[in-house]
Amino acid sequence: MHGGDEVSAIVFDLGSHSCRSGYAGEDQPKSVFPSAVGSAESLGANTDKEAKKPGQAEVAKVRKLYAGVQALGYRRDHMEVLPAMKGGLVADWDVVESLWDHAFRDRLLIDPKEHPMLIAEPSFNTQQHREKMVELMFERYDVPALFLAKNAVLTSFASGRATSLVVDCGGGSVILGSVAAVHDGYVLQKAVVRSPIGGEVLTDCLQRTLEAKGIIIRPRFSFKRKEIRLGEYELIPLDPPNTTDSYYAYAQRAIVADIKESICRVPDSAFDDSSYANIPTTPYELPDGQIIEVGADRFKISDILFNPTIIQTIPGMENFSTEAGTTFYGLPQMVIESINKCDVDLRRELFNSVMLAGGTAAMHQMKERLEKDLMEEAPPAARVKVLASGNALERRFSVWIGGSILASMGSFQQMWFSKAEYEEHGPTYVQRKCP
Amino acid sequence: MADAKDILGLPKLGERGSTEKRKTPKDAVKKPDGIHREVYALTGGLPPIMSTLDPVSIKKRAAPTKKISWQWLPFSTSARTDNLQLYHWVRIVDGSQPSGDYAFAKYNKGVDGVRYTDEEYNQLLVDPNWSREETDRLFDMCEQFDLRFIVIADRFTPPRTVEELKHRYYSAAKTIIQARAGPNDDLSDHALFKDSYNVNHEVDRKKALNIILSQSRQQDREDAEVIAEARRITEARLKAKGLEDTQVLIRDSLHVDTTPARVPSPSPAAAGDISFLSVPVTVASTTSVPVTPVPKPVSASPTPVPVPSPVPAPAPAAPTPVGPRPPRVYLRGAWLAQQIHSVVSPAGVRIAKRVDQMLEEYNVRSKPKVPTAAVCAEHLELRRELLNLLQLQKQVQHKENELAVLRENPYAEIPPTPNTPKRSHRGLENERVSTRATAAGAEFEGFPSSGERVGKREHKRKAPARFQETPTSPPYHKRARKLKGSES
Repeated sequence: MHGGDEVSAIVFDLGSHSCRSGYAGEDQPKSVFPSAVGSAESLGANTDKEAKKPGQAEVAKVRKLYAGVQALGYRRDHMEVLPAMKGGLVADWDVVESLWDHAFRDRLLIDPKEHPMLIAEPSFNTQQHREKMVELMFERYDVPALFLAKNAVLTSFASGRATSLVVDCGGGSVILGSVAAVHDGYVLQKAVVRSPIGGEVLTDCLQRTLEAKGIIIRPRFSFKRKEIRLGEYELIPLDPPNTTDSYYAYAQRAIVADIKESICRVPDSAFDDSSYANIPTTPYELPDGQIIEVGADRFKISDILFNPTIIQTIPGMENFSTEAGTTFYGLPQMVIESINKCDVDLRRELFNSVMLAGGTAAMHQMKERLEKDLMEEAPPAARVKVLASGNALERRFSVWIGGSILASMGSFQQMWFSKAEYEEHGPTYVQRKCP
Repeated sequence: MADAKDILGLPKLGERGSTEKRKTPKDAVKKPDGIHREVYALTGGLPPIMSTLDPVSIKKRAAPTKKISWQWLPFSTSARTDNLQLYHWVRIVDGSQPSGDYAFAKYNKGVDGVRYTDEEYNQLLVDPNWSREETDRLFDMCEQFDLRFIVIADRFTPPRTVEELKHRYYSAAKTIIQARAGPNDDLSDHALFKDSYNVNHEVDRKKALNIILSQSRQQDREDAEVIAEARRITEARLKAKGLEDTQVLIRDSLHVDTTPARVPSPSPAAAGDISFLSVPVTVASTTSVPVTPVPKPVSASPTPVPVPSPVPAPAPAAPTPVGPRPPRVYLRGAWLAQQIHSVVSPAGVRIAKRVDQMLEEYNVRSKPKVPTAAVCAEHLELRRELLNLLQLQKQVQHKENELAVLRENPYAEIPPTPNTPKRSHRGLENERVSTRATAAGAEFEGFPSSGERVGKREHKRKAPARFQETPTSPPYHKRARKLKGSES
């Protein structure tokens, strides 16, 4: 008799770059879509004039949010792209609601009333955010039971360990790298180290680098290819008016992100221009037919994770700085810092189980490079071992998979935060129920 | 795959024709009904030799007496405090549901914590460092987190160290249990009393662990080096001690030994050896000092052939001679080989080979047939002389090349010559060599060591060679030396 008992729970993981949702008990999320929405205001050209009129109490500006890959992929006039998260935490609750709607109603086709919900939250989520999320879920969606689990804990469970050091390199808007220590299934909050360098920063860097080389990246909607002869295409640029800048940038970034995912690799040792000057270039075909050659840059970009000072050398990114104003470290230093903040008894075990998670961690050679760098910096008394699932998809979805495992365990069913409890104790009770 | 090949390969007409042909044999072969042609072809196109499926076993075993169905039913678990009802699939047998609690409720184990009442607190647990609220919160968290102190310490406000929390909790629990226990209860078995929590020990232990773990790699390497060095020193000291003991034995036997003729041999041996080999072992100096003054007047001439013979003790397993790390009991032949190697190898492989070659020319065995003490000594000496000779020859050639070059171009740059081996008592020989070179001037191109050797030297000369045959001189010199040696 295995330890699973299916109650048809839904696992929802809201990341900075994409949302993943699906049924608990499955090994991959059923629906993955970007965690940004397009927002278009449907009153058209008169909105400006109306806003200027004084005394206008009810300006019936209906804002329509388009969520999901298909909706976002279609270019609409005046559609802005709004991200859901900022700095790793939820910024705009309307956007989050529309994402949830899209997931439940359009993708999973479920009625939230019937399914307990497991939601993955960032390891450094604030009390305020948690309460708001709980409120929203119970009031708006009327779920029967709810649980908020931290990302790091879920990643840890996905590999079957209760204690580990989770290095989460996610995507998303000017974020995160975070490193969190999990002990016995609980995140040690004092040992969470965050870094603003995430997948999106890397994408930006790559974009600037390519632009500096004179390569124009045309978003898919801005051109049309017409077949002149067999196999040969002619590029007809379109310039639809009323396309917002944010949408243009979003579409461009999508292409650059694809370039990054397909050809970037982590160098085996620290990157320096001289040794990588003669690296052979890899070709990549852009959607408009251009073939670009990328050489040393593919290593340079990925090395930013390990050596953030490289950012300064990229044209256009010299002014990159964090809001907090602190210096930011490379990944190995963050790991060491996090471990040193933990209790001494734990440190050896944490060194022994460093886990990689997140989309950015799916780059080639990431595990080997991190292991090598850590072994140099770590005390020799500790044995360093970096764990990462071999499958790139599993690394990307490790948080969701952990949630799927957790929600389908028989012994988890006593831990749900039920609606009755919510009504009895209020949203602050979440602190007790979901530690 | 065969179909694809057909489609791509064969032309249309041919295809049709071939399929027609193929149809008929296929119809003839196609036996079984209910099985597709391709599947049949998997078995090789022939009926299986053995029947694979027993028709008897395919039939249903027994008509199921029970009716099994699955239903989506609500359940509740005793592990929950509220009455949340979640749904899951339940296996229904004959329309009746399984009874009993939720199967996983039995895994809900906690830690039995201790809880105090107000009076108990006021009586027993008042502590200056801990307020009532903090203590309450501590006990709450202990219950919630099942005594995971690291997690509790992480979330405790105001922040306190793990040791403080543990100390407070365990001491409080102990006092309460003690107070609650009656006079008859035996508490020594209780877990809290068996291994009691010692705060100071824990603090020290953690400090020490911290130091170990924060040592960088560099420091660790240095530590390892220091330890290795210490080990080496102790080993050397042990060896010195051991050898000293045997040398004491030797000294005693020397004084006892009445053969004066034999006695002189160790002394120049010792002295010569020391000047020769410059052994850094302290043992050598300690042994040579008592030995040398005794037979010094006996040693006659500056024999360039000191005999590094060990003490001619009656036992064949002789005690240790002075030399480069002499073993206690050894085979002389092997020891000789070792000596040779240690003397010759610093000069280079090529020169070592040349020494061997020269020995061959003179019909000398490279390993003496009868390795007695005297023979070995002579052999070693011979090798040394050959080595020296070769090195000097090289030197001479170098100098002559220089001369030639300088003659042509007085301002040419000349790379410095390699060092000659320092042999103090061979000074005579050296002078002889140099005088020859300078006196002869440009005439002399260097001595060929023997007639045959001349040719070889030719290859190496850079300057134009004006060949002068002096085939007999070096052997003559050698023999002269040898004669000289035997005179003494």
